[in-house]
Amino acid sequence: MHIVKQLMAIPGVLAAGEYAYRGDRFSYQGALTDEFARMASILCRANTLSVNMQAEIFDSFAENCGCRPVQGWIVRGAEMTICAVGNYFSFIENRDELLNDVMTIMRAKIGDVQEDLLVNLYSRLGGDTREALY
Amino acid sequence: MDLHKLMDLPGALAAFTYTDKGDLRSHQIREGAELTAQMLDLLTRSCVANRAIASMEASGWEALTGQAGFQPLRGFSVVGLEWSVVVDGNCGVVVRNRDVDYEATFNALQAA
Repeated sequence: MHIVKQLMAIPGVLAAGEYAYRGDRFSYQGALTDEFARMASILCRANTLSVNMQAEIFDSFAENCGCRPVQGWIVRGAEMTICAVGNYFSFIENRDELLNDVMTIMRAKIGDVQEDLLVNLYSRLGGDTREALY
Repeated sequence: MDLHKLMDLPGALAAFTYTDKGDLRSHQIREGAELTAQMLDLLTRSCVANRAIASMEASGWEALTGQAGFQPLRGFSVVGLEWSVVVDGNCGVVVRNRDVDYEATFNALQAA
């Protein structure tokens, strides 16, 4: 079953989606409008880029310390939480055990994010971004 | 701030507090964990930055969409390959991914 569909089958998951690392497309299911899903995709892509940049810096101080490649991030709100793993995101209610369940499913279904994530995130810039990044 | 309690969380490798500027204030590191005070000091600076960004996004999202539920922000976590850092307020925990209980960690940080 597709990851987004599987996430949406869990009670308390409000919306879930996927965006292209290069930032030119997205898809979603749940309680978002097309415009809100577009905004959510931009937000998630920007945060993913940011935390990966931080991990690159961190790794330069402590090589192979276990922080990179970053697998995802969580923003915990008062009543809602955003979970992002790889290029997937989900908006969930703050219910008992739901965050752990959603993160477990996302990590298991998406698998380990590989080292080429930053290259993919930058790919729309064109050219050989690997040289500039590493 | 009782860092000992935070170190009792499942998979906790380190617990720390930091100033609003991101300077490491106090910390505990589990024996054998490949973390140093210098690494935590760098980590706490990213914690301040990520909290500020998340707060801005939560505020902007609620204003633009009319959806409530994100504010006040209760925390942020970055999930690395082997460990995650979970922060709330001026306090954080580094937890091993294979043992992590995100909900318990967020709850413990809020209570700390």
